[in-house]
Amino acid sequence: MNLTVNGVEREVDGNGLRPLLFVLREELGITSPKAGCQQGGCGACTVLVDGEPRRSCLVPAAAVEGAAITTVEGLGTPERLAPVQAAFHEHYGSQCGFCTPGFLLATHALIERSPQANREQIEEALAGHACRCTGYVKILEAVEAAVGGAA
Amino acid sequence: MKAVGARLPRYDGVAHVTGRTQYVDDVRVPNMLWAKALRSPVHHAGIKKLDTKKAAAIKGVQAIITWEDVPRLVYGHLEALGIPGDEPLLAKDEVRYKGQPIAFVAAEDEETAQAAVEAMQLDLEERPALFDVRKAADPDAPQIHHWGNWYPHFENEMDVRQIRKGDIDRAFDQADTIVSGVYRPAAIEHVPLEPQTALVVPEPSGRLTIYSCTQALYFSMGVVAAHLEVPLNRLKVVGGTVGGGFGGKVDTATETISALAAMKSGRPVKWRWTREEEFLCSSTRAPWHMEIADAVTKDGWILGRRMLTLHDSGAYARFSPYGLTKHSFHHTGAYTIPNLHFDGYVVFTNRVPTTAMRGFGVTSVSFATELHVSRIAEALGIDPFELRLKNANRIGDTSPNGIAYTDPSTVQTILAIADAIGHELPGDFRAMSRDARADALLPEHLVAQVGEASH
Repeated sequence: MNLTVNGVEREVDGNGLRPLLFVLREELGITSPKAGCQQGGCGACTVLVDGEPRRSCLVPAAAVEGAAITTVEGLGTPERLAPVQAAFHEHYGSQCGFCTPGFLLATHALIERSPQANREQIEEALAGHACRCTGYVKILEAVEAAVGGAA
Repeated sequence: MKAVGARLPRYDGVAHVTGRTQYVDDVRVPNMLWAKALRSPVHHAGIKKLDTKKAAAIKGVQAIITWEDVPRLVYGHLEALGIPGDEPLLAKDEVRYKGQPIAFVAAEDEETAQAAVEAMQLDLEERPALFDVRKAADPDAPQIHHWGNWYPHFENEMDVRQIRKGDIDRAFDQADTIVSGVYRPAAIEHVPLEPQTALVVPEPSGRLTIYSCTQALYFSMGVVAAHLEVPLNRLKVVGGTVGGGFGGKVDTATETISALAAMKSGRPVKWRWTREEEFLCSSTRAPWHMEIADAVTKDGWILGRRMLTLHDSGAYARFSPYGLTKHSFHHTGAYTIPNLHFDGYVVFTNRVPTTAMRGFGVTSVSFATELHVSRIAEALGIDPFELRLKNANRIGDTSPNGIAYTDPSTVQTILAIADAIGHELPGDFRAMSRDARADALLPEHLVAQVGEASH
């Protein structure tokens, strides 16, 4: 089975029922998606599948064969941060960092879809993502900055 | 002072936003095993039999650990301070909370380890369980430990944390009225996004490299070394990256058992808790039972406080005596009460062990005190802001354990709250400062307790 992750086609073992999260983490060594709850509740495992946020812990690997999968590793590098990454860094949208990859990808997808997203749309886009450190205020400020920057 | 007021970038910010921060579960090593624990399915029981033979025969199982494999089975998180140990690393003949680890499996993958856990035969004799700290403190309650339910956490097996200050009987004699209340904040789960995880790698040198999400690295090192009966130089602990802790990762919950499995199998072992384990088996903030009776005058002075605190440690004490001690030192909250009689106990129940959480021991009594001060104001018909300002900690006032305050912030805080909500205050209250007490704010009952800092 082949998966296209961050623009690179990779061959993975045959178990198509294995959650995409563990194929990415254990077989491909792509560790930015996190196993926070393994039941679709926390958002820490979020990846983009053809640009749409998906809970990789609930997605069987076979279901995304042929699709374009994006993780945070595919957004930008430390030397060249993507706009959402720069906004989260500059606005302190990350404390312990464990939930951050999921928030980044949800924000990235939101901006692609709605470059002028308002506060209500932002809150709706992030509703399934849990953070226990920041209390969300800094995250929302970071997302608003990212949206403003993209507009 | 380049840092004060400046918006400095987080040192770990770029790693966080590029997904490159390496949490324990992100560390990969070759040849790694995965672990699962057999946990108690009930809150309190005697263990009649544990048979792991079928589990050991499953293909892919590389090590099974039970109490027999632990060099020093029973240890206490505060044993280095002379507080008696109470917690077995793995249950031997009794389980005291639902989720307590009994046996441990390291296997080629998590599914195999889980299958082995489910193949273990466990024969339990269920016993009555206690979930309410007040009921657990009753003399005729079922007994959870050989000491009973009151933990002897001081020298000479003394079980009470006492504060005595001033003349409590005189305060109650002089009072116009006594205001009483009982306060019982509940347990709270920390819910870190990163579940408890450990990875232990046995090195050819005989050392163990321990990747840990602990909030207290050197402390965890000591706990592992004590159970394993090895010197500290056998352990290399790699920590500092915590995916949320909030106090819930100060207990050493995963490292020691994983280390034993790594030693027995000769291979790296990773133990990653599920969200269910995190909710059901990890430590929580403690429930507390606090009884307060304050001797007050009709013009709003709090002359004295009698207080009884029961700290619910859960099934094992861990850091509970430390939390209770902090609690006792703060038991008047942000206010100065010159005559005190405080008794506090660490009481066992059959809940999960409780531990630190954001303001360990102090948030509980702040909650109780603030409610109680409002209750006093209501009983006396006094503005709760004025009552708070009158009794607020000021420079030179002394804490329950006799420390003179040099930088108290109660007065400014209460005034700021009044401003924020537009609460009107009479001029003399509006003009109040935190300066040392004088004139009307140094009534006779406070003269003796004002510390040296003010005179």
